[in-house]
Amino acid sequence: MKSLCLAFQVYLAFAKKSFQRRMQYRVANLAGLTTNFFFLLVHIFVYTAFYAARTAPQPLNLDEIITYFVLCQVSFMLMPFWGTRSEITGAIKDGSVALQLTKPVDFQAYWFADECGRAFYFLLMRGFPTFLISILFFKVTIPQQPTVLIVFTVSMLLAIFMSNAITITIFSSGFWTLDTTGISGMCYSIITLFSGMLVPIALWPEWLAHIARWLPFEGLIDIPFSIYLGKITGIAVWIAIGKQMVWNLFFIGLGRLFLTRGFSRLVIQGG
Amino acid sequence: MHHLSLYFHFVKLRIRSQMEYRLSFVFDVCAQASISVIDFFMIALLFNRFKELAGWSLWEVGFLYGMIGICFAVAEMVGRGFDVFQRNIVRGDFDTVLIRPLGTFFQVFSHEFLLRRLGRIAQALVVFLIANSQLTVAWSLTKVGYLLISLVSGTCFFVGLFVIGATSCFWTVQSIEIINIFTNGGVFMGSYPFSIYRWWFRHFFTFIVPLACVNYFPSLFLLGKIRVSGASPIGVQLAPVAGFLFLGVTMLFWRWGVSHYQSTGH
Repeated sequence: MKSLCLAFQVYLAFAKKSFQRRMQYRVANLAGLTTNFFFLLVHIFVYTAFYAARTAPQPLNLDEIITYFVLCQVSFMLMPFWGTRSEITGAIKDGSVALQLTKPVDFQAYWFADECGRAFYFLLMRGFPTFLISILFFKVTIPQQPTVLIVFTVSMLLAIFMSNAITITIFSSGFWTLDTTGISGMCYSIITLFSGMLVPIALWPEWLAHIARWLPFEGLIDIPFSIYLGKITGIAVWIAIGKQMVWNLFFIGLGRLFLTRGFSRLVIQGG
Repeated sequence: MHHLSLYFHFVKLRIRSQMEYRLSFVFDVCAQASISVIDFFMIALLFNRFKELAGWSLWEVGFLYGMIGICFAVAEMVGRGFDVFQRNIVRGDFDTVLIRPLGTFFQVFSHEFLLRRLGRIAQALVVFLIANSQLTVAWSLTKVGYLLISLVSGTCFFVGLFVIGATSCFWTVQSIEIINIFTNGGVFMGSYPFSIYRWWFRHFFTFIVPLACVNYFPSLFLLGKIRVSGASPIGVQLAPVAGFLFLGVTMLFWRWGVSHYQSTGH
């Protein structure tokens, strides 16, 4: 028990360091905030125009759509790829991975802690300001029941964890290819599509939504936000969260497999 | 003339070096294409549900999307030197540029050529061609000429944005991320008809940053939508001038920036 507690403290320290490292870039963060807000604005213009021509009731009304995209921009940097700059691949490429391997820590857990630090940085410095500004300018719905907020928080945490696990898995493919831009590009398009980041899955045609339900990526965006909007209730909430947990375990396992296989064939680059 | 042959020589060298990593190159082209396919797929999904957007059909929007996609991808391909210019400043490499007997603008411009943008160009071109086949555009020699000039002008516009980003490095060293709003964000917002935006937004992106002149006004003319949109016909016909003017202004800005250059040293 004591050693577990100690291990936790070590990884917490890594997460904190990662958080602090990113605190250096204040101006970049301000620029990023502006960009987030710009994309949000265009999304809102587009959906407002689409909804203006259509009187038939939709699965999500315009206010809910706006809230959905506000949440998208809030958690944008927490999703795979956006906040990371493939530091894992970088470490493999320039050989600094060798140094990391000499540390008496679990490699995957180390990167996981690092990613968590990054995620909480972006949540605090990018997500919250975006949310606050959005409340001022747009009609953002806020759930009234505290249970919804609690379940949403759990679901969002699972989404962040899964995002981290996916990132580690994808970038550890660098052990084989060294250059991961191509692979991550392809994964990127699948993930942005099936997470519901571009168009909420509720608005998709039935057949495509059905495919999305069998894939893990809805757990990144669509599940937590649908819970927030009160579109998933009752027993379905538990199923949704159960799904997120199972996929979390899947990606952690896959990442582990990639890393152990990767280490056995690792050639240190550079000198 | 000398410049032109030199430029093609540089481009040839660039392409050869990029072909060294053939597998990675193929992956990248595919990834580029897949990312942009998803982009348009999402627009199609929305039209599947909502049928129309402010009087524009899916393929009319596809026409818009194709045009701006081609311009941006070509601009990224040829204007790469300005896009990644900040590393020249950070490393102090710009000193070498200054001592060579050629204009700085030409040197930076011819320094890079990103062949892998072919995937993105191909995708945008395919969307444009399909859109064109689904619409009945009364093509005439004037319209074809107008389209080609618009595409070149739109490419100039995006290169101009890269030049602004690069020039700002003379003061800030690191490139200003804000320019992303106009490049990537510009492609995103330019994929939809401008009439859906609020007036202040629309005016900013017409008169200050002439994004609307890249594809929206040209599409109004080519698709015969000028009267419905209420835009001024003369303004629409002159719209392609904006891209060239924009690039011209940014080149002046570049010249001014170069005169303020202070080396970061080696």
